Amino acid sequence: MRDAPVARGKDLSERALGTLLLLPAGLLLAVIVVYPIATLFWGSLHSVDNANPAAGDQFVGFENYLRAFEDDRFWHSLAQTVVYVVVTVPGALVIGLGLALLANRPFRVKWPVRLGLLLPWALPLVFAGLIFRWFFEYQTGVVNDWLGRLGIAPLNWLSDPTLATIAICIAIMWKASSFMALMLLAGLQTIPKSLYEAAEVDGATAWQQFVEITLPMLRPAIFVALTFRTITAIQTFDIPYAMTGGGPGDATETLAMYIHKTTLDFLDFGYGSALAALMFVFSMVATSGYLKYTRRNAGRNGG
Amino acid sequence: MKVAKIVITTAIALSLAVPAWAQQTTLRIFTGGQQRPDVMRKIADEYQKKNPNVKVEVEVGGATSEAQQQYLSTVLSAKDPVLDVILIDVIRPAQWAAQGWAEPLDSYLGADKAKLLPTYLKAYAEANQVNGKLVALPYFADAQFLYYRKDLLEKYKQPVPKTWDEMMETAKIITDGEKNPQLQGFSTAGAPIEGTVCTYLVPLWGAGSDMTKDGKLNLDTPEARQPFQLYGRMKQAGVLPKNVAEIPTDRIRVDFQAGNVVFAQNWGYFWNRVENDADTKVKGKVGVTILPHDKGGKSATCIGGWQLAVSAFSKNKAEAVKFARWLSSPEVSKMQAIMASHLPVFPSVYKDPEVLKANPWFADALPVVETAKSRPVSAQYPQVSDAIRSNMNAYLAGTKTTDVALNDMKNRLKPLYK
Repeated sequence: MRDAPVARGKDLSERALGTLLLLPAGLLLAVIVVYPIATLFWGSLHSVDNANPAAGDQFVGFENYLRAFEDDRFWHSLAQTVVYVVVTVPGALVIGLGLALLANRPFRVKWPVRLGLLLPWALPLVFAGLIFRWFFEYQTGVVNDWLGRLGIAPLNWLSDPTLATIAICIAIMWKASSFMALMLLAGLQTIPKSLYEAAEVDGATAWQQFVEITLPMLRPAIFVALTFRTITAIQTFDIPYAMTGGGPGDATETLAMYIHKTTLDFLDFGYGSALAALMFVFSMVATSGYLKYTRRNAGRNGG
Repeated sequence: MKVAKIVITTAIALSLAVPAWAQQTTLRIFTGGQQRPDVMRKIADEYQKKNPNVKVEVEVGGATSEAQQQYLSTVLSAKDPVLDVILIDVIRPAQWAAQGWAEPLDSYLGADKAKLLPTYLKAYAEANQVNGKLVALPYFADAQFLYYRKDLLEKYKQPVPKTWDEMMETAKIITDGEKNPQLQGFSTAGAPIEGTVCTYLVPLWGAGSDMTKDGKLNLDTPEARQPFQLYGRMKQAGVLPKNVAEIPTDRIRVDFQAGNVVFAQNWGYFWNRVENDADTKVKGKVGVTILPHDKGGKSATCIGGWQLAVSAFSKNKAEAVKFARWLSSPEVSKMQAIMASHLPVFPSVYKDPEVLKANPWFADALPVVETAKSRPVSAQYPQVSDAIRSNMNAYLAGTKTTDVALNDMKNRLKPLYK
């Protein structure tokens, strides 16, 4: 019993052994990644008439995708998602970098700073959404209270499309900066102190040190953080869901919210799957952009 | 001999013991967090006492009708047999029938059905039948009412308004007179939620029209514009709260019981909260009546309430129907009325002295509930609801004009009413 596998193992070539060892991980990926994606795509080629669901699923080819291109609500939710991505990804990066630099200062007691950084990240997204909804509430919200103290009339933060988008972006950035800061703090701590000491000897200012040492050394961490943040920004759901429910009308609705509504409320699984497949494509395109950039960079550094 | 004796006694013991546990049925009933699961538990305990062979488990989920349905859609799309009896919103039977989630009850009730149905309030007997099939049984009723500040109306010697215009004028007189910037004239649901569907439909019905006519979309009428125009006038007159597009159902209650609303449109739960909550400032000052209508029109309110469906995937359908049948009885209607102030589904229970003692306002409620109309019946109700509420919400927020909101609403409804 003990001898058999060993004996067989000797017969295996390097390559076959490698394949064998990769098999469990490959199977796991197939079950939890490939299979759901394939099912999603297959589902997106089907449609069910919810006026008469008893008739069952019909194969409709790419009809659901064509429908998406003619669907104003899809384009609007996509545009709204792009706004959240374009505003909150760089926004969270800048704020997160600031926080990380701050947290990297030599504090005597480090843990309260780190805990403060960690808290927004540890908070569930929906909670963050609800908290900010209370902040921006018309009558009892703290934001309108501040405005009132400054003599400014209360604003409809949650029922004006522009103001609601701003309020949601603020909430997302508050939540996401924490994650950014954590990633960047880890990156900052890998930069050798000797570089700064050498720069100081050469008479570099703090700003020069930041631009010439910190930023280039931090680049890999920044790209990983940006990649993660962009993917989650494309999937923005919880915070606008809790703050405005997509309102007024559908003004603040994101693509993820529209997918959720189409599948879970409308039970239109075919169309919802097609929208989800499109979102998957957008995520892939965005991520591959970053990956390409980092790979090219790595190549240059290596050479 | 001795062995035989043991065998016989064991056999007797077993034959006595077996029926007690082998026939034990466990039924699982699903209810929403807002439908008083504590009262459901007490009622289920009562049923267990009467039926020792049945054990009832109460599963609680979802604070809103939508949240519950999202969970139930998942469970039932997977044909999961875990639930036996399910409490569903009155807007859902058509969808449940189409999706095949609810076991049709006709064959279980047999001849009983013809006797049973006329005993319910008419609107509920109708709401639970789809294409002649009985999809669910009514559990408790609900409807929207007009709540008002009796004390303020008396102070300004104003009668209870019958039409929307009268209500607006009265609200204006009172808010102008009180000079309290927090005081809202009229509050109703305006956020993009289910309640906002009724915010559109009630004035539409009050103008003598309806969203559909003979199963066809009927929004090319002048009356279809009436709700938008009404709220537009109210906004201009400062009668509606400035943030009406952010207001969900329960926010109206919070504002009202803080003393900040003159007139409010809300469901039946409202009265007990504003009268009995510890922090209420309006105890003894609340009046309740039917919602207003247009001059020359007739008031109609939005029907609410919860129904008992038997899951098509239940493994104990016969027992489940028996349980649902008992839950939908005058006896349980009365228990609910007393313990939870749930409006009964039987007209007779409204006149029960014990019920009236617990809820004096039920005397005023019956005539209102009798005018209750159903929101559009559709197998695709979630889409219908979304089309109405999101456009009503956008109009109230001021991002769409009457023409745009009504047009967008029609465009989204058209594919659903082919």
